[in-house]
Amino acid sequence: MMNIWGTPDDAVAPSGLSVRDLSVAYEGPPVLIDLSLDIAPGELVALLGPSGCGKTTLLRTIAGLEHPASGSVAVGNRVVTSNGHFVPPERRRIGMVFQDGALFPHLDVRRNVAYGLPRSERNSSRANEALDMVGLSEVANRMPNTLSGGQQQRVALARALAPRPGVLLLDEPFSNLDTTLRLRVRAEMHRLLVDLGVTTVFVTHDQEEAFVLGDRVAVLHEGHLAQVGTPDDLYRRPADRWVATFVGDANLFRCNRPSGSCQTPIGEIPVLVGSDGPADLLLRPEDLALTEGSSGTVELIEYYGHDAMVHVQLDNGPSLKVRTNADLLHRRGDRVAVSYIGSGAVALGL
Amino acid sequence: MTTTPKTTPSARRVARYQTGTGRPPWQLSGSAVFIAVLFALPGGYVVWRAITGGSLSLLLEGRALRPLWRTIQLAVLVSVSTAILGTALAWLTVRTDLPLRRLWRVLAPLPLVYPSFIGAAAFHSGLTPGGIVHDLVGQFGFNLELRLHGLTGAWLVLTLFAYPYVYLPVAARLATLPSSLEENARLLGDRPFQVFRRVVLPQTTSSIAAGSLLVFLYTVSDFGAVHLMRFETLTQTIYRNRLFDQTRAFGMAFLLLALALLVVAAERTVARRSAQIEVTGDRSPLNVALGLWRIPAAASCSLIVGLALFAPALSLADWGLFGWLQQRRGLAALRLDWGDLASATWSTVWISSVTAVIAVAVMLPIAYLLARHRSRLGGVVNSVVIAGFAMPGLVVAISLIFWTLHASPFEFLIGSMPVLVFAYIVHFGAQAVRTAQVAVTSVPKRMDDAARLLGANRLRRLITVELPIMAPGLTAGAGLVMLSTMKELPATLLVAPMGFRTLTVEIWDTYEALYLAEMGILALVLVAISAVLTWYLVVRRANHLA
Repeated sequence: MMNIWGTPDDAVAPSGLSVRDLSVAYEGPPVLIDLSLDIAPGELVALLGPSGCGKTTLLRTIAGLEHPASGSVAVGNRVVTSNGHFVPPERRRIGMVFQDGALFPHLDVRRNVAYGLPRSERNSSRANEALDMVGLSEVANRMPNTLSGGQQQRVALARALAPRPGVLLLDEPFSNLDTTLRLRVRAEMHRLLVDLGVTTVFVTHDQEEAFVLGDRVAVLHEGHLAQVGTPDDLYRRPADRWVATFVGDANLFRCNRPSGSCQTPIGEIPVLVGSDGPADLLLRPEDLALTEGSSGTVELIEYYGHDAMVHVQLDNGPSLKVRTNADLLHRRGDRVAVSYIGSGAVALGL
Repeated sequence: MTTTPKTTPSARRVARYQTGTGRPPWQLSGSAVFIAVLFALPGGYVVWRAITGGSLSLLLEGRALRPLWRTIQLAVLVSVSTAILGTALAWLTVRTDLPLRRLWRVLAPLPLVYPSFIGAAAFHSGLTPGGIVHDLVGQFGFNLELRLHGLTGAWLVLTLFAYPYVYLPVAARLATLPSSLEENARLLGDRPFQVFRRVVLPQTTSSIAAGSLLVFLYTVSDFGAVHLMRFETLTQTIYRNRLFDQTRAFGMAFLLLALALLVVAAERTVARRSAQIEVTGDRSPLNVALGLWRIPAAASCSLIVGLALFAPALSLADWGLFGWLQQRRGLAALRLDWGDLASATWSTVWISSVTAVIAVAVMLPIAYLLARHRSRLGGVVNSVVIAGFAMPGLVVAISLIFWTLHASPFEFLIGSMPVLVFAYIVHFGAQAVRTAQVAVTSVPKRMDDAARLLGANRLRRLITVELPIMAPGLTAGAGLVMLSTMKELPATLLVAPMGFRTLTVEIWDTYEALYLAEMGILALVLVAISAVLTWYLVVRRANHLA
């Protein structure tokens, strides 16, 4: 792996990040409640949640832009926020990229990138190195408003990385870009962040983005951490009903005592993780398949190119979402049957 | 300003800990309160003198209320006529296919360059023997007896020179009103005139009201024009009685202050209730084809701009040129040499620049408080500053003169430069606070956050990020204050230190002494300077004033 900061002598090891029992409240109900989260050095963690869940507040509290009511934040071994102790954001050595980049409009690209460097380094080659990292050295003398949205975001990343922060925060960094550009910039940033091995926390409301970029994903729901885990964990073994439906498409079947297996309108389903009381069985659309038969009707087909989602209304039960491959065999109104092809379902307690 | 609940020390620490971006830091609140107290001082002194000096009983006499009645009469007349004239001109120049629209759009706001008393003096001197109109008519054998005076004269002159206050906001509003609104109204079945009445006019009302409010305040505080027209409004009564009947002067000042504040309060209450769509679209507004009406419309525009812009300049230039020719021919020497002219010009530019810079610096904390923090304090301070703007310059002047005379530790301030600058800032500071607020808002909070996370402290953020981004807005605010200051007459006349002669003071004195040629030359210089500033501010950078 390439050295983090290009040259061996100025290498700074990425810091871990530790958030303990953090509560944030403005007037009204608390925004974050007793939230704890540990992030390892060099890890890429996504904060995922619907709008208003407190994910941006968490990011801003880590940065020191918001003051928590209680709890602590530590970067590496250094406590930056705790009760009675508060390191102002300008002394935290935390880099941040804002939704729209927030480049200083009156400074050219190079001076934007050099802004966070110590006075002695502002005229050194450090700014150019940072611009090189994001592949934008050729626009060093341009003004921000002459750059495209994707270029602005990359400059903002270079500006945040130039002072060698211990932790990098990204606040919905791709949300202002249009779809094709978003995918490209995302891939470039992903590669760069992985190569540099910088500890990164980023906020997104887009489940796909969280899964693609995050080593781990922390799902926030109404000020609480609903679940923290690898994307696979979240998708395959969600902690509760809410997480199951928030990340990915879900078919849920009510089951009274799920242990071993459970009888559903589409047959007997093996249960992997059981529950003592009544529960919902989670069946992802790709666990189901369409077969010859006449137990339901195709209601709706959503065609995505790489695959398709078929909505089937069962005669004796709920409507199901079934993921099929792209060469469609069915049309709206066709009679079909649905069968289970997965290796076992997770039961989510009520 | 920390609210500390009566609880344990640790709970108090938590409460302080919570003091986030919402609540302003004490330095900011402190300076805002300090500024507000200073701004409230002149008005407070007038109220105090009126109450303790027994002025209020004077107000019960019918005689005392006559100037008030005349003031209201004039202010209402001028507000209504400027509202109609300003709106009509704005609509014609922005929303129709009037010939030479772009020229009219540049010329229409320019009558702002005339202080009302110079405009009035120009009309007066043009109509007297020796004036351009009188002599031109005389060529045809008529002896022109027409003189402008009284209510009619004051109304005509003030209407001509105050309509830009309505024209500017209404034109700006009309120019940005998205065409989709009107297109929708058409699709929903309205005819063009109905669209104007049901969609355009309601969306413009608040701009018309705001403009008319400015005109109302301009009229009630006008000193020079009504003096020249010999129409005794409150300002005249105050001025006449200031030396020998202070009780009456303060009683009238109190009335004038109350009138101005009442109108501002009323407008703000009404404005708060009106709903406006936010203008976002960059699509050009609909244009109405005038057809045959283009000719009368263009003629009306020419008439108004001719009367309000070119006629006064011609009359002044005629007198100035006449005096200069007389001197060249050795017939009569001008009582004005280049030295006097240069020093008056220098004094004007100097004092108004100093005032403008100080005004912006003083208003910046208030702008920060208003734009960055949500607090009741901000609203209160803002109201005090706006009240200062509503307070006529003459009232500020009277108050400061007598306060410095009577306040024992402050006598050294009598007739000093700081008092003059203070009077200007109380009177015009509000013009800077508005633009400064827009300027502060134009710096996104994220920009400040980004700079913080890059390690910049408060001072570095202010100097390297915020001030450069705010610069155009702040310059525009300073320019507005400068423009108003160099045109201001009564405060300068009364408060300026002995021997400090600005252009307005010189113009006033030469006119009172009937040295019309000298007056013409001085007035042309002042008008030229303020024309340059107006051009720069109003025509080129109007976007920073909204």
